[in-house]
Amino acid sequence: MSDAVSAVLELQQVTKKYGDLEVLHGVDLAVDSGELVAVLGPSGSGKSTLLHIMGTLDRATTGTVIVDGHDTAALSEAQVAGLRAHRIGFVFQAFHLLDGLSAVDNVANGLLYSGTPRAERRARAHAMLARVGLGDRAGQLPRLMSGGERQRVAIARALLNRPAIVFADEPTGNLDSHNGAEVLDLLRELNAEGTTIVVITHEHEVAAAMGRQVEVRDGMIVRDSRRTAEAVAR
Amino acid sequence: MRRSRLRPGDSLRVGFVGLRSRKVRTVLSALGVAIGVATVVSVLGISRSSQDELLDQLDALGTNLLQVQAGQGLGLGGNTDLPDTAASQVRNIAPVEEVASVTSLDGPALRSSYADPNATGGISVKAAEPTLLDTVAGSVAEGRFLDDAVDDYPVAVLGAVTAERLGITAVDGQTSVWMNGRAWQVIGILEELPLASDLDRAVLVGYDAAATYLDADLAPSRLYIRTASSSVEQVADVLPAQANPEEPENVDVSRPSDALAAKAAAEDAFTSLFLGLGAVALLVGAVGTANVMVMSVLERRGEIGLRRALGATRRHVRGQFLAESLLLSLCGGIAGVLIGAAVTFGYAQAKGLHFVVPASAVGYGMLAAVGIGVLAGVYPATRAARLAPTEALRAA
Ligand SMILES: Nc1ncnc2c1ncn2[C@@H]1O[C@H](COP(=O)(O)OP(=O)(O)OP(=O)(O)O)[C@@H](O)[C@H]1O
Ligand SMILES: [Mg+2]
Repeated sequence: MSDAVSAVLELQQVTKKYGDLEVLHGVDLAVDSGELVAVLGPSGSGKSTLLHIMGTLDRATTGTVIVDGHDTAALSEAQVAGLRAHRIGFVFQAFHLLDGLSAVDNVANGLLYSGTPRAERRARAHAMLARVGLGDRAGQLPRLMSGGERQRVAIARALLNRPAIVFADEPTGNLDSHNGAEVLDLLRELNAEGTTIVVITHEHEVAAAMGRQVEVRDGMIVRDSRRTAEAVAR
Repeated sequence: MRRSRLRPGDSLRVGFVGLRSRKVRTVLSALGVAIGVATVVSVLGISRSSQDELLDQLDALGTNLLQVQAGQGLGLGGNTDLPDTAASQVRNIAPVEEVASVTSLDGPALRSSYADPNATGGISVKAAEPTLLDTVAGSVAEGRFLDDAVDDYPVAVLGAVTAERLGITAVDGQTSVWMNGRAWQVIGILEELPLASDLDRAVLVGYDAAATYLDADLAPSRLYIRTASSSVEQVADVLPAQANPEEPENVDVSRPSDALAAKAAAEDAFTSLFLGLGAVALLVGAVGTANVMVMSVLERRGEIGLRRALGATRRHVRGQFLAESLLLSLCGGIAGVLIGAAVTFGYAQAKGLHFVVPASAVGYGMLAAVGIGVLAGVYPATRAARLAPTEALRAA
């Protein structure tokens, strides 16, 4: 099992119940280092729930979630917070930038809870902003930026702690097609440089731009392009 | 596996940024705290300033003055004077430093011979010894006091109120008052005498002059006695027997400085009343701050979710909101101390008092502010910490 060695994320028989309502029914999913995965599915199919569980923001009701080699069920709240601080990046549909902070300070927040000194955080944030093409906007307040620029700031923030994996929940959902395409290009570039990224979307065009497509329907994975490819190869 | 960690400096900065991002709200709720703290500080400051004034006055006047007069009542009838020998007897008490006798005389004292003899304006006439001024720690505003050189001349010294009532402001050798059918030249006007305020309303003349021109009975009505500071009580105990050996029970001894001391003590009672008011203001400030913090938590669920996603623990989130609340009320507290000091300064200037803001007032003010910060912050911070990250992110 050579792919198990390099897996940064592994879900085995994961279920999630809200009270009596089960919204995930036994999900199996492995993501290898360096992959660019789209999780595709219609509204209400359980994509965000899945992302929260994969990102350790929520716990599975049953099943196993292994992130960066750690079985999260065995970790305390504080320990999974540490995992998020050091090994996981998030990008949200609504950007979630802090209005009171400049672009570079928002990016620097990507290392705020890692204990990195402020000067180093800011230095790395400047470099990361330059990487996403916003080197000249470091001092700008987010509310004076376009949606596409804001999402790029958020992506820079997610990458700052050099995460093992980045989760993006509908990263183009609030953007027009031009800005959306730019953001997707950026994600692809970053992946080409080695970042493992999982993108959640309900748009087929977005999913098609990714290396691998996992389709979710009613809380179950109904199609996974990697398994199909493996099956074909066999 | 590495833990999530927020440096202490960052923790403060996070709280500060939270406040800076919502300036109007921050200023308004800090103002709530500031008003409460300012009330406490100015109440304590003003009361201390006035108390200091009284205590300073008391210091200057001394608490070693005693006053003796014939007792009123006891049904023994009309004699309201002390024996003629009283002054010399009292002088024999060892710790007594100075004695001055005063005798009440029949008025009236008028501005001139044309004035209405029935309109005396509450002014009395008294014979006084030259030692009186020093004994009651008084001073002259104009001219000079009675002395041996003028004791048997028809001259008068006016108390502060007397001079004002008679409209006499200067001593120029021409001014006189009219008593018992003749003019008495005014040779001095006194400052107010806090320890003997009935003399403020008197016209004072020498004993020899009183005997010569007023033909009065000169038994002393009252003695003022300065004693050694260490033996005031002992002297007070033996005074009745010395002043009037035959009827010691008919002698009243009092200590005029007690009235001033009582006034200083009364300030304290007054202060507690206003401090109550300050406490109410503080409570209002606390409720306001708590309200703002709760609103803030509701409004910032997205931010809370984001911070959890960035690796913040529940403890970090709780710390952030507590820090905000504490910083807010500390700013309010500092502003309140400054406002309170300014109010005290203004009051002291207006009333001519020393400007004093006791360290304890600043201490209590800041303590109250910190208390508000903690009280108003704990509940909202706990709520924020309890919020599940998914819930927080979904809400935003
Ligand atoms: N806290 C919750 N309590 C109860 N039900 C929930 C909760 N969170 C999600 N659900 C339900 O779980 C199901 C999946 O929700 P989820 O948000 O994961 O869907 P999604 O695929 O992300 O949809 P969308 O594309 O609209 O974002 C939905 O039916 C939703 O109502
Ligand atoms: Mg969703």
